[in-house]
Amino acid sequence: MSEPAIEIKDLRVDYGDFVAVNDISLTIPSGVVYGLVGPNGAGKTSTFKVLTTLMEPTYGEVNVAGFDIFESAEEARRVMAYMPDLAPVPSDLKLWEFLDFHADTHRMGRAKARRERVEECLRIVNLYEKRSAWCKELSRGQTQRLVLAKTLLHRPKILILDEPASGLDPLSRREMRIALQALAADGATVVVSSHILSELAEMCSSLCVMNQGELLASGTADEVRRALGRAERNLSVVTFGDSKKVESWLEGRMGVSDLKVDGSRVGFQFLGGEEEQEKLLVELVSAGLKVCAFEEESSSFEEILVRVAKGNREV
Amino acid sequence: MKGRKKLKPLPAWMIWANPILKRYARSRLRPASLGVALLMTILVAGFFFFLARETTARAIQNPIDVGRIPLIPLLILQGLILFGLGTGQAAAGITTEADEGVIDYQRLAPMTPFAKVLGYLFGLPIREWILFLATIPFTGYSIWKGQVPLNGVLQLYAVFFMAAILYHLTGLVAGSVMKNRRWAFLTSTGLVMFLYLIIPQAAKFGLVYLKYVTIYPVFNEVYPSLIPRPLGDAAEVFNTIIPPAKFFGLNFPQYVFTLISQGVLSLAMVMMLWRRWRKADCHLLGKFTATGLFGWLQMMLLGNALPLMDSGDLFPSRELDRRFGRLINPDIQFWSPKTWEATVMIGIYGLVTLASLWWLTFIISPELHGQVRGWRRARKLGHSKLPVLSDAATSVPWVLTMSVMGAAGWFIFGRTLIESHWYPELSLLVVTPMAMFSILLCGGLGMAALLESVGRKVTGLVVILGGILPVMLGVILAVSSDDSIALAVWLAGICPVSWPVYGSGVFLSEEGMPRDVARAVPNAFWFWQGAGAILTVWLLSKLRSARKRVSNLSKEF
Repeated sequence: MSEPAIEIKDLRVDYGDFVAVNDISLTIPSGVVYGLVGPNGAGKTSTFKVLTTLMEPTYGEVNVAGFDIFESAEEARRVMAYMPDLAPVPSDLKLWEFLDFHADTHRMGRAKARRERVEECLRIVNLYEKRSAWCKELSRGQTQRLVLAKTLLHRPKILILDEPASGLDPLSRREMRIALQALAADGATVVVSSHILSELAEMCSSLCVMNQGELLASGTADEVRRALGRAERNLSVVTFGDSKKVESWLEGRMGVSDLKVDGSRVGFQFLGGEEEQEKLLVELVSAGLKVCAFEEESSSFEEILVRVAKGNREV
Repeated sequence: MKGRKKLKPLPAWMIWANPILKRYARSRLRPASLGVALLMTILVAGFFFFLARETTARAIQNPIDVGRIPLIPLLILQGLILFGLGTGQAAAGITTEADEGVIDYQRLAPMTPFAKVLGYLFGLPIREWILFLATIPFTGYSIWKGQVPLNGVLQLYAVFFMAAILYHLTGLVAGSVMKNRRWAFLTSTGLVMFLYLIIPQAAKFGLVYLKYVTIYPVFNEVYPSLIPRPLGDAAEVFNTIIPPAKFFGLNFPQYVFTLISQGVLSLAMVMMLWRRWRKADCHLLGKFTATGLFGWLQMMLLGNALPLMDSGDLFPSRELDRRFGRLINPDIQFWSPKTWEATVMIGIYGLVTLASLWWLTFIISPELHGQVRGWRRARKLGHSKLPVLSDAATSVPWVLTMSVMGAAGWFIFGRTLIESHWYPELSLLVVTPMAMFSILLCGGLGMAALLESVGRKVTGLVVILGGILPVMLGVILAVSSDDSIALAVWLAGICPVSWPVYGSGVFLSEEGMPRDVARAVPNAFWFWQGAGAILTVWLLSKLRSARKRVSNLSKEF
């Protein structure tokens, strides 16, 4: 099994009395796009700042690409890249100068080699034509793309991107998603936070949900949905026959509630575990109700996050 | 988890390959802006050069003497460029990076903290270095034509460069703690002005060491060779009675001692910046280093002052007497210092000691937020106490140590001064060492207790209300009516800044003071010292309960 890209153990970050990150432990495997999801104030940015060595936590252990970031910060910095939220750029440099400077800090060879890599990265983010423009002249979306180019410069093993899609138009978002997935396919690990949750679900191989500094759930998208969904499962039966018959069969069965018929589909909520769910399907088929599909409609990420955020406000 | 193979970072000494230096060389040396700045500099340097030469050429026939004339105006221009603009640029540049948010990128750059410090040190003021170079042809021509001895020039410029580095480092430190780029520029250039206008005056009142943070000592030694020879020869005669840099029993050439003094201060600044690049939220100095720096400052103040006491060179009136003695008072045959000079010098020594104690206390005292974090970390690691040297640990023992060191230094200075042959009729009160210790202890511990228990904002408010307002009111009262002078003395005595000044009057003599003042000062001093001591004990008890509260708070994980 390959070495995990990031290992976090008992991480805590305090700002005075406020606990931004509360004893979270997390392992992020290599070569995946990993999402960090949570409402504002969940502790995502604080976690990122610790991961990138920008902030010292109250306590905790963090290993990035095998380097203990508190003992070998410089080595860890060499193999990772960070794109902060509302990524800033210097006002006194041109695009290519900004990237060339960062290529130089990573000791990426002589001027010619650096220039080639800078141009390559500018092409990836569609800013090559603007290479001689001043950084301060870029729009918000272009600035985000430029900083993304900066993070790609030294071919990092680990990319940590805080809200990278903010300010991007839909086309740029799609391009960025494809680019990040391609990076992961090449073996890089991409850790990304975003509020555009549907995008994260599409992009990430696995993710975790944070709220008020706590880690609520982690795993694949399905695992997280299940972990954070309600106790009732949203099930639906699609029948070749009469959906009314299915509805009446289901009515009054133990754990079944909230029946809704939509054409050939009968949706309902079911309170029970996987075994009870399996038993229900067997009974449905045994009753001769011509079942052609039996599905679980998991809670959507938006629904989960809205619930989590609402919970915060009620508290 | 096992670490991978360590990659080699760029060695800090390869300054020419430093990416931060190259980045600023690129942005600050763009042809358009550099061209204008160069043109302006060459025009101003050329103007001074030709103006100085041509205005004196008719009066001074000798070309060697004419050649020397532009040297001092050019040196002033070079000082303005490197010390003033360069320092301001260093401070404003680092604040701009923090303001724009790009400083985090540089934090993440895989370079050693020392390489980053050097990159900014030489990168941010790079244009000013180039402008300085643009003035060199004029200086070089003047040195050549004026046949100025190269030895003196090399000494002067070695100190000049060291001073520029020290001021630029100071600018970087100021920039790293300030939020606003304009304020950072103004503060750091103001600091240089302060160094050159105010500090030399303090140096005349017993704090000889302070002049070694400027280029004055070397300039004074070298300047006879920078001016026309007839004037220079006269100055040379005068210079023979200027002593070399004395440090306890040792004699140093002025430039060597200046280089050592500024070099050590530069090292302290580099350490501050290094710590900030390593951890953005750590204290500028560690507790042990801060205490060491305080001890070093005391040693330097004493080391430079004590050897000058017996000869009388320490006294401000000695210099006046040498230069203008016969003009001021032709009847006086032999110079001797006045009692008020000892009073003022002891007061200023105490004031500077208290100010440096406050500065270092401010640096090493943890805020509540830092204490909570430190306690939580310690508890997680299974410790029942905070590590003594950690930023989160209390500064009280270190402030206590510095107070003892400061009181010892102050007392040695005062006693040596009063027991010198100049004041056979004077002696210090028996309680003097205890009173000096009390002044520093109350001032230092009071400040530490406030900072640690209520934070910097409330401490700032207390300083304004208890430290500045009473003095302002006292001054207004004092100038409004002669009858209210005693009241003004009492009011200003609330402020700890006045304690060393009042104390110096109490320890020996009130000679020369108006009767009301002479009576009010000792009473006000002892009263406010007593009040200060009670207040400090109360603050320390508040601090103890505050730290206990923080310690308990940290148990709630």
